[in-house]
Amino acid sequence: MPSDHTTSAVATARATRVAAGSAIAAALAQIVGPRWVKSRAAELTAYDADGLPGYRATPSLVVLPGSRDEICAVVRLLAQHQIPFVPRGAGTGLSGGALADGAVVIGLNRLTRIHNIDAGNRIAHVEPGVVNASLARTLAPFGLYYAPDPSSQAACTIGGNVAENAGGPHCLKYGVTLNHIAAITVCLPVGELITLGSPVSEPDGYDLCGLFIGSEGCFGIATDIWVRLLPVPPDVRTLLADFTSVTDAARAVSAIIATGIVPAALEMMDQATIRAVEASIYAAGYPVDAAAVLLAEVDGLSIGLDADVRVIEQCCRDAGARNVRIATASDDRAKLWQGRKKAFGALGRIASHLVVQDAVVPRTKLPEVLERIHDIGERHNVRVCNVFHAGDGNLHPNISYDANDPVQADRVHAAMSEIMRACIDVGGTITGEHGVGLDKLGYMDDLFSEPSLAAMCAVRGVFDPEHRANPGKVVPVHSCREWNARWNLQGLP
Amino acid sequence: MPVTTTELAIRVASARASGTALRIVGGGSWLDAGRPCEGETLHVGECAGIVEYVPGDLTLTARAGTTLAELNATTAAHGQWLALDPAAGIRATIGATIATASDGPLAMSMGRVRDVVLGLECITGTGEIIRAGGRVVKNVAGFDLVRLHTGAWGTLGVITEVSMRLRARPDVDCAFVIARDARASLESRLASLGDLPIAPLALELLSTALAQALDVHDGVCLLVRLAGNEDRVHAQAAELQALGDVREVPVNTFERLSMLEPASALVARVTHTATQFAHTWRHVSDHLDASECWQPLMRGTVTRGLLRVVIPVDEGDGEPAPRAPNDATTRVPRAHAANWPEFVRRIAPPGAHVAWERLPDHAWAHVPSAVNDRLSAGLRRALDPAHILNRGLLGESVADAADLARAGRHGLP
Repeated sequence: MPSDHTTSAVATARATRVAAGSAIAAALAQIVGPRWVKSRAAELTAYDADGLPGYRATPSLVVLPGSRDEICAVVRLLAQHQIPFVPRGAGTGLSGGALADGAVVIGLNRLTRIHNIDAGNRIAHVEPGVVNASLARTLAPFGLYYAPDPSSQAACTIGGNVAENAGGPHCLKYGVTLNHIAAITVCLPVGELITLGSPVSEPDGYDLCGLFIGSEGCFGIATDIWVRLLPVPPDVRTLLADFTSVTDAARAVSAIIATGIVPAALEMMDQATIRAVEASIYAAGYPVDAAAVLLAEVDGLSIGLDADVRVIEQCCRDAGARNVRIATASDDRAKLWQGRKKAFGALGRIASHLVVQDAVVPRTKLPEVLERIHDIGERHNVRVCNVFHAGDGNLHPNISYDANDPVQADRVHAAMSEIMRACIDVGGTITGEHGVGLDKLGYMDDLFSEPSLAAMCAVRGVFDPEHRANPGKVVPVHSCREWNARWNLQGLP
Repeated sequence: MPVTTTELAIRVASARASGTALRIVGGGSWLDAGRPCEGETLHVGECAGIVEYVPGDLTLTARAGTTLAELNATTAAHGQWLALDPAAGIRATIGATIATASDGPLAMSMGRVRDVVLGLECITGTGEIIRAGGRVVKNVAGFDLVRLHTGAWGTLGVITEVSMRLRARPDVDCAFVIARDARASLESRLASLGDLPIAPLALELLSTALAQALDVHDGVCLLVRLAGNEDRVHAQAAELQALGDVREVPVNTFERLSMLEPASALVARVTHTATQFAHTWRHVSDHLDASECWQPLMRGTVTRGLLRVVIPVDEGDGEPAPRAPNDATTRVPRAHAANWPEFVRRIAPPGAHVAWERLPDHAWAHVPSAVNDRLSAGLRRALDPAHILNRGLLGESVADAADLARAGRHGLP
């Protein structure tokens, strides 16, 4: 587990000032109303963790603005006093990105308005606190939907999705958050409002909207988001294939991808995950003796869909699938999906904590990497359950454990660290959709050269010269120091 | 001639030390695009070749100077392709295609350039070699400098290597021309097309002059590309028949779109919402008509609300020359060329955005820069503090000029 869990000394000193200064709390209460400023220890506890197990960090204050204007006023006040802040959506992030060690948390959950749905142009204007699944429900009557569907979609917010560039099972065909955002209005850390991209045209100039997406709260707060919508596909087929070896299942994935068919989703679950699901209340009837199951979905025009299904079925059988189930009706399809959708819930029931890892490898390396992950798990005596987006090589090795047991926690951290390095070794990356946050900081040096990290820091400095927005996240602090030192030597800002 | 990244980085670092502006040149297709841009030539065209191609991963990494033609040839051998069809055609280098974020009709279904690029290597204005993104199809590690460099026209770094996503070639790929029914309005025509159960790979509306130049029709028409498995393509082709006058044309008609663009032309990209497409099309047509730019080579991607407008000009002095109205070759009359501010400003309807790609040097003064905001200027300063990369190409802000002067005074190391 990375050791770079540090907020800079400067930030800590400022945080101390915050704690001392109830004047700030009072000033914030003036802006948002006293109800929406949380400062008592018991209230702050609710904000001391996110989806990353084993980390706790208590904010000095929590403020919950109710409008774009209130966000700006809050951010300006914090800027005046040079106080670091952490934007927070639903806190479902899995990389520790919403942890606020002494900083002020700006919670965006009150901003849940869907301002406008332009069905003709397939675009919706929403506030950052809108929950992903609730947007889906609102869009249903229009025959439209918003494609990115992270596993936490019942709780996670569009603002959080933008911050992390969230994905989900269906981004194999439809792309991640980046591919579905037309424009964002951002409150910069200095309190200035600016719109990046455009909801009505394709502007030229630098792609600042693309740059902002996935910036993990370090570039400011999205106050307005224009999301692109897709028409609900007229027809869908779901296949579930089971295999007696993980390698066979991985070979089927490569074969399907090579045919040119782009499935809407192509998900894999290994035996450990299948058994966890089948032993839980979420049992979906997956064969518990299978080494792996592959869930494939194709959608689009009805004509030609069955031809695609036949090709995928053949790929699975050629790779050694024992059995392939095909569902057309929505109830039947939901049954096949049930095990996949509830996998994290089922895994969460095994032990008190569940670490959900996230890495990407080239698709042809899946068999090799899955084998290595298995070996690493055995060596460290931890049970790794794999449930992941096989179609784009996006692995989610998960380990259920008791984070309060230091010996167990150490074993888990050691295993995860080895798994990450195995993914890097084969040309992969350390995160496909969860973000770097705090959790992955320690791997950034393995992935990027010092000048590359320094360039990222320089770019962050353009949005946030004081590095007050989500301090200490994404890029290791030492890279920023080096970059700043270099600039200072040159007498430039 | 420097071909390795290190050699290029040394050139950039020494240019930075001496404050020498560099003009980045790959295949040379874009030299007349953008604003006047002076500088010592930095050739990256020789920095070419495929670095890594694993067909099973559907990803490819190539040096920036590799042409799309070479990428096409290599990937075609494995039944794959890079689904980018920029206006510069297959002679374009991949580096320039990404630097200019230049896309074409395929983008409506296969994604824009920003959706295709997975990672890149580039040299910043300080001569440092950086990498962003990676070679895998999904990646959120670190801030997204890949998107920042895509479409930055080389002003934030010299792109030297690129990783991109490939697609498998469809089983069947064909093109159709649908004549415009003169009795129906453009709106109703597009609406009935939108109601059909089809999912085209590409769908372009062509102006009369462009349709004539392509030799596919004698008036405004739609060019549709259908691809996929046999069942799907045949069924969709049958659906198209509902629109009346439908004719199959060679699928390379789409490729020829880019080949028809004259070497010397005024080029603009006008975008608005998809529902405003017909209105934007008419507005631009009327504007060009009123400016006596007869029969422009114009095409539009309906679902993106995007128009690409090409007005050929005489090579000689760069000034558009008058021609007879019935001449298939379009010209902006010399008399009207003097009225650039009006011409440039009024081409787009209210609410639409116009991005000029090619204009006579003196006309650029009437086009506001798209990188004059505080953030863009800051990014420029952060990645190219001495402003040596393609200086002026996107329009310098006043702040930029002040910085340049300051950088000069301080004698940057």
